[in-house]
Amino acid sequence: MHVFPAQTINPSSRSKRGIFAGNGSRLTAKRVLASLGMTGLAAATALVVASSAAWAQTKIDFFFPVPVEGKLAREMTRLVKQFNDSQKDVEVTAVYTGSYDDTKLKAQAAAKAGKPPAVVLMSANFNVDLKIAGDIVSLEPMLAAEGTTREKFLADFWPALHANATVDGELYGVPFQNSTPLLYYNKEHFKQAGLDPDKPPRTWAEFVDAAIKLTKRDGEKVERYGFMMPGTYDYLGWLMSALSMSNGGRYFNEDYGGEVYYDTPSMLGAARLVEDMIHKHKVMPAGVVEAGGVSTSFFAGKASMVMLSTGSLSFIRDNMKAPYNVAFVPRNVRNAVPIGGASLVMFKGQTEDSRRAGWKFVRWLSSPEILGGWSRFTGYFAPRRSAYELAEMKTFIGQHPDAKVALDQLAYAQPWFATYQTVAVRKALEDEIQAVMNGKKKAEQAVKDAQRKADELLRPYVDQTALKLP
Amino acid sequence: MRLDRHIAPALLVAAMTAVSTVWAAPFLWTLMASFRPDSFGAAGMASLLPDFAPTLANFRLALESGDFGLYYLNTTIVVIGILGVQLVTISLAGYAFARLRFPGRDFLFYAFLLQLMLVPPALIVPNLRTIVDLGLYDSLAGVMAPYFASAFGTFLMRQAFLGIPRDFEEAAAIDGAPWWAIVWHVLLPMARPALVAFAIVSVTAHWNEFLWPLMVINDPANHTLTIGLATFTRGAEGAKEWGVLAAGTLLVMAPLAITFVAFQRRFVESFVFSGIKG
Amino acid sequence: MTVDAIITADVLDVASKPTVRPRRRQARTWRLALSLLLPSLLCLAAFTYLPVVRVVIDALYATPHGGSGTRFVGLENFARVLADSAFRTAAWNNLLYAVGTIFPSVTLALAFALALWRSTRFNAVVRTVLFFPSLVPLVAAASLFFFIFLPGVGLLDYYLGKLGLEGFNWIGDSDVALWSIVGLTVWKNAGYYMIFYIAGLQNVPRDQIEAATVDGANAVQRLWYVILPALWPTTAFVVTIALIQVLTAVDHVVVLTKGGPSNATNLLLFYIFQEAHENFDAGKAAAATALSVAALLAVSLGCLRAMDSGARHEA
Repeated sequence: MHVFPAQTINPSSRSKRGIFAGNGSRLTAKRVLASLGMTGLAAATALVVASSAAWAQTKIDFFFPVPVEGKLAREMTRLVKQFNDSQKDVEVTAVYTGSYDDTKLKAQAAAKAGKPPAVVLMSANFNVDLKIAGDIVSLEPMLAAEGTTREKFLADFWPALHANATVDGELYGVPFQNSTPLLYYNKEHFKQAGLDPDKPPRTWAEFVDAAIKLTKRDGEKVERYGFMMPGTYDYLGWLMSALSMSNGGRYFNEDYGGEVYYDTPSMLGAARLVEDMIHKHKVMPAGVVEAGGVSTSFFAGKASMVMLSTGSLSFIRDNMKAPYNVAFVPRNVRNAVPIGGASLVMFKGQTEDSRRAGWKFVRWLSSPEILGGWSRFTGYFAPRRSAYELAEMKTFIGQHPDAKVALDQLAYAQPWFATYQTVAVRKALEDEIQAVMNGKKKAEQAVKDAQRKADELLRPYVDQTALKLP
Repeated sequence: MRLDRHIAPALLVAAMTAVSTVWAAPFLWTLMASFRPDSFGAAGMASLLPDFAPTLANFRLALESGDFGLYYLNTTIVVIGILGVQLVTISLAGYAFARLRFPGRDFLFYAFLLQLMLVPPALIVPNLRTIVDLGLYDSLAGVMAPYFASAFGTFLMRQAFLGIPRDFEEAAAIDGAPWWAIVWHVLLPMARPALVAFAIVSVTAHWNEFLWPLMVINDPANHTLTIGLATFTRGAEGAKEWGVLAAGTLLVMAPLAITFVAFQRRFVESFVFSGIKG
Repeated sequence: MTVDAIITADVLDVASKPTVRPRRRQARTWRLALSLLLPSLLCLAAFTYLPVVRVVIDALYATPHGGSGTRFVGLENFARVLADSAFRTAAWNNLLYAVGTIFPSVTLALAFALALWRSTRFNAVVRTVLFFPSLVPLVAAASLFFFIFLPGVGLLDYYLGKLGLEGFNWIGDSDVALWSIVGLTVWKNAGYYMIFYIAGLQNVPRDQIEAATVDGANAVQRLWYVILPALWPTTAFVVTIALIQVLTAVDHVVVLTKGGPSNATNLLLFYIFQEAHENFDAGKAAAATALSVAALLAVSLGCLRAMDSGARHEA
């Protein structure tokens, strides 16, 4: 407090200059303004009402990333306002916090600094790590207070989502927006290449064949690529897990955070598929392309098939000029895709009031109506099955066959990888696959090196758990 | 020789025109993209030629996604607040290091320089903890506070003061002027170029800062420009609204750009860099 | 040269009067100095020294992710950092990035300044264009360059294609990505440094240049023997801010590449960031911070010392 000249920044002298104070000051300023504007009794009444409302209300912060584009930030802000207007007990401040990574960084930094947000929309595979780090709280007490159980609560959510919502058998996250990888393709290009635009490739063989036919060359130069997929961190790991799962693999141990399966035939096959499409068939650009580059290339007609999240569905629907359609991720052994997306978590260090307020908000946000509306707005699928029973939702699915395909693929969805040190362990694979994409390494070597690196990262946990013997 | 005199300037003009074309290309594209109706990836969207009917839709969307008036105000408060306090702290400290002899001066000077390397982004968590302890979390003062002292500015002012001959001060001192009057009336006016140089560095740095304000600020009423801009630059799942992004970027840089264009000549010319020259 | 070179020894105490006895005078100077430094020192204490102490302490402890409590490990974190190939890659990348950015941007800045220091209308326009990039937040610049670097459809490839050339996968090719980042940084900073050179040029003594011309020195000789030495303090200043920038501004890496592909664009600050916030390894992050700060401190002290000696020669 004594560090600064008092008149410059004294947080207690709020009313002096609103800019120097946090949340409370605006109310104060408003009250002052209000009392200036009115007279006598009216002013007094307004003052009393305003202050008593402020007293009764619990104020909480809600951190959210913007998963696709600015439009969603506006919609989220609108939803929160709707919640605030719908009741009087809780006032939520919606805090836009950048990307998924920025959001995690900011939430954890705020928590370490003693200002944890009550509710955060967090990338769903961070839950294990956040729980291990002791940042988020179990939601079991809240369920108990409602007189329900985890099983009953989760029954309405798609089964593939249960694993990422729970950590060590307790509920830690309530799924909010979820996605799977999806194959988007340009129907016009299919026609030009002599392929049936209503019969997208179902197997890897058909997939590679289509990609070869769709690629347009001018001598050595490729005018149009048959296939593109994002190769940047985070996205790449997710798509590689989709490919290895489609190849019969598991990627990670769902029941134990200390194991990943990189050096396996299923992952090797997936890595070789990518390697061959780039370096052998030359139907996919070499090197890494970010998701924004992939979608832009798809819009520009420079890529005929792309693999992107179902979360991009509305964005593509709104902006794609040429006719397109979507399909399941092609299989080699079986149909399988990982879940992605984000869930609502609650941070430690809240007062009893704000915890209750936070849970109230979580329950409201995860109601079938809100989830359905958000799903229609974004393209994410709604995690609750009952959301699809609503009339608006049925109409919507009827009007948008692409949304139907994304929904049908859910039957084959698997949990998202989440391990000890999720990000670093995932990056161990991604760095190696990126080397394959750049022609620096062969797939065989890459998966071996990825496994070695991942095992090193997991060792401290493994030593503490599976290898801790009596 | 003769030939040289005529051709060399022409060559220079040609070369500088070429260079500035390359330098301006990203801005030209930004300008085009911000008015282009179809901004998601039509084949010709990289073109720098206006081959479309301009639209203001991108600007409308950018302006809708945040309260830009508020962002300008907050950013201006932050930038001016930081600079204002810095000018005081660096002038005082610069004077102490340049003109006073006291035990531990060398040590203190090195201790100051340590700050050059330790920008808040490198020390987010400990700095955030301090901000909370001081009660400045989620306030603009919290964004500013870590920058109130500036090792770089102190060094610059010390250089500038060292470069000023002592005769002036000695004359003033003999007339009985106290030290602060000497600083205010003699040293600071003569060190103006160094102050201007430092102001440029400080203002551009803090106008453009992103990560630290993002960490400190929650309340939308305290958002700064870069956080507002992040709404459309930091999307996570692969969609890019290029047009809105371009419009937003133009909105962010407009105030500084206009100021610079308006004062460019005076600014560059009056800014004789004696702080460095000594 | 030692500390004495930085603190010029010939400073008189102007503020004091000759009638005061030395002892008391000394005490008074000390009090005055302290009160002048106090505002800065308080801020430094809160936001520089305290965090540094915390970093150094953290670096000596292991805080296993999910483990219980911390444990003193001495220099083990430093050993782990040095053994981490990602750290070595980041350090090497940072060196390449520093040299690759500072040398061209400072050289270009000088060239621009020499070409534009006369104030004509044309020069004013060009100066403005060159200075503009520094008015764009790095976060925004990086997002714009995202489009510029897009393979196939981006600005660079579009116009290279018109010239019949084929571009690269600018930020997706591990051999090219770092240099694309360098290109962006040079674009952003060269005009900024130019401003300081233009200002510095106003101080180059005209008579010396004319004398050299009369003596028959050509343009290159004039530049080398007269102008450059006179600009030495400006150069030291510019190199110092450039150095601080290359080590502390990594927003573009965060936006464009996240250090990829395969760590090809990972820089020290981003590495520290990842260790601390993605991998929950506070000890390793602290050790990496301590190592980079020590290195940076050594280099920039060298720069400042050069700057200081330059100023002294001039004075």
